[in-house]
Amino acid sequence: MEAKPVAMEVEGVEAAGGKPRFRMPVDSDLKATEFWLFSFARPHMASFHMAWFSFFCCFVSTFAAPPLLPLIRDTLGLTATDIGNAGIASVSGAVFARLAMGTACDLVGPRLASASLILLTTPAVYCSSIIQSPSGYLLVRFFTGISLASFVSAQFWMSSMFSAPKVGLANGVAGGWGNLGGGAVQLLMPLVYEAIHKIGSTPFTAWRIAFFIPGLMQTFSAIAVLAFGQDMPGGNYGKLHKTGDMHKDSFGNVLRHALTNYRGWILALTYGYSFGVELTIDNVVHQYFYDRFDVNLQTAGLIAASFGMANIISRPGGGLLSDWLSSRYGMRGRLWGLWTVQTIGGVLCVVLGIVDFSFAASVAVMVLFSFFVQAACGLTFGIVPFVSRRSLGLISGMTGGGGNVGAVLTQYIFFHGTKYKTETGIKYMGLMIIACTLPVMLIYFPQWGGMLVGPRKGATAEEYYSREWSDHEREKGFNAASVRFAENSVREGGRSSANGGQPRHTVPVDASPAGV
Amino acid sequence: ACHVTPAAAAAGARLSALAKALVVEASPRAGQVLHAGEDAITVTWSLNATAAAAAAGADAGYKAVKVTLCYAPASQVGRGWRKAHDDLSKDKACQFKIAQQPYDGAGKFEYTVARDVPTASYYVRAYALDASGARVAYGETAPSASFAVAGITGVTASIEVAAGVLSAFSVAALAVFLVLENKKKNK
Repeated sequence: MEAKPVAMEVEGVEAAGGKPRFRMPVDSDLKATEFWLFSFARPHMASFHMAWFSFFCCFVSTFAAPPLLPLIRDTLGLTATDIGNAGIASVSGAVFARLAMGTACDLVGPRLASASLILLTTPAVYCSSIIQSPSGYLLVRFFTGISLASFVSAQFWMSSMFSAPKVGLANGVAGGWGNLGGGAVQLLMPLVYEAIHKIGSTPFTAWRIAFFIPGLMQTFSAIAVLAFGQDMPGGNYGKLHKTGDMHKDSFGNVLRHALTNYRGWILALTYGYSFGVELTIDNVVHQYFYDRFDVNLQTAGLIAASFGMANIISRPGGGLLSDWLSSRYGMRGRLWGLWTVQTIGGVLCVVLGIVDFSFAASVAVMVLFSFFVQAACGLTFGIVPFVSRRSLGLISGMTGGGGNVGAVLTQYIFFHGTKYKTETGIKYMGLMIIACTLPVMLIYFPQWGGMLVGPRKGATAEEYYSREWSDHEREKGFNAASVRFAENSVREGGRSSANGGQPRHTVPVDASPAGV
Repeated sequence: ACHVTPAAAAAGARLSALAKALVVEASPRAGQVLHAGEDAITVTWSLNATAAAAAAGADAGYKAVKVTLCYAPASQVGRGWRKAHDDLSKDKACQFKIAQQPYDGAGKFEYTVARDVPTASYYVRAYALDASGARVAYGETAPSASFAVAGITGVTASIEVAAGVLSAFSVAALAVFLVLENKKKNK
């Protein structure tokens, strides 16, 4: 996204003494302080591209079935209830998988954790080609959906690679471009099917062969992660544990520090009504426009695809907005941004349920709504990296899992059976968004403040992150990474504190192009 | 000067407004199971003698007969995309056209169940079309006397082998990497 000044490329961290050189400017934690979208600089940008692409592939696999449903339901004799149940199954598998994924990232690193998850779920994608019954359909969608947990490793990985000033943007683009898979697949699968059908397969065989495409994409993206990926800027977890650069944490400690942090729970709830709503809309919007406005299947499919495709800029935009608000107002800016954007999204959702006089107006409201609700996802993950340092993975996992829980509950309450019409369900869902976003006001960081109250006098980030370590552990220096993280997140206090004698990036290697 | 396309003329047709002027019979017994792509049915149709007596020459406008395969009510339950509808432009029950013949009072033909007909219960319905292609009369076998089709699954041996091999490859690739990783760590 930003031009690459040549001078920065040659700047290294030689000054830090014996540490590895990087093509990008980094902070004292070796995390990149810049974000070069079109660069493949290892390890930072290379990790970024592998993270978003592997997550994208998982999204494609998980939502590969809906665009081919007219064929699948006839081949397998599915009823509307079978299809609804399988839809819920496809997003519920990831609830627990996301929690487990967070823990796995904390313990073995994002590279092994994500590649293992992706490679172990690909057989479900391949087996989609040989299912012969409604229960088979439900099972493959459930197991394929587990791969959506790779979202957590993608966010964890980005949080390990990018410094505070760019972490919101990096998380936003990685998450958004991954979610893009949900829109892209609506266009991809019909094309693949058509091609195979043209070559000479009968329809009932052609859709089966089509499933090999998302399967192969998933397999090779995971192999790329294993072959070329790297957990942290300093190396893989295995190496860092061995050299003592990193403390090998225990599961119990990681779990305790995540579950006792109320901020993680609130973010899980609000994410359930941003990402959860996005997943729900992915499942119902097609039918909504088809039934209410009598458009044909292709138009409905195109609208459904455009909702998912908005992710290419909406979610990254949310991350960018979060980082920008932080540079002006610190953490309080990030929190206000999340609440405002998500609440506007809720209001637009209510409007979407009410507007019925014109098809064009309804589509316009939906496009606006998709931007706000997806930007809110990006804004959420501008805050997540600061909740905990020791249990970063599990907090990401709780939040991500909350997104899936929200999708399951919302679909079950408002869009299952015949109790509510789809438009009524959408209206109520909007009210739920507004209500469930209010708790953001309760999130408070002593060192930076919350939405309503400013920071407590004398509280420091170092103190906040050190609380996750016992005196004994601190003596041994296990908390070194937390201390460095606290130093680098000083800007979350807003402009005033960052200007208090601190350089823009709190690092000795701040790559000012002075050498030019 | 007034030009009506067949599609436009057919769009407004309602089943309840059509005369049931044809008698249609299909060879399968009620409940018989046919295999898609293998088994054939014999369909015969003719003008309903009693209805014709009431209005002799009513079939003067009939130019062709279109015969379709329709989902029986039991196979429509819980599947909105197969629902029968009185407005024939919205009817989704009779999706499969199996023959179209010029109208000459009666006809008989054999139809091999196509390979893209899914597993379900079916009955046969025939429409009489006028010169513009609009549906003007119909006839059908009793929906209660429906027969079953066992559709092809579409699974072939090569798909099964490919799914197995690629699944195994994915898991094996992970195992190989983990072993290599461990070796490197313990060096």
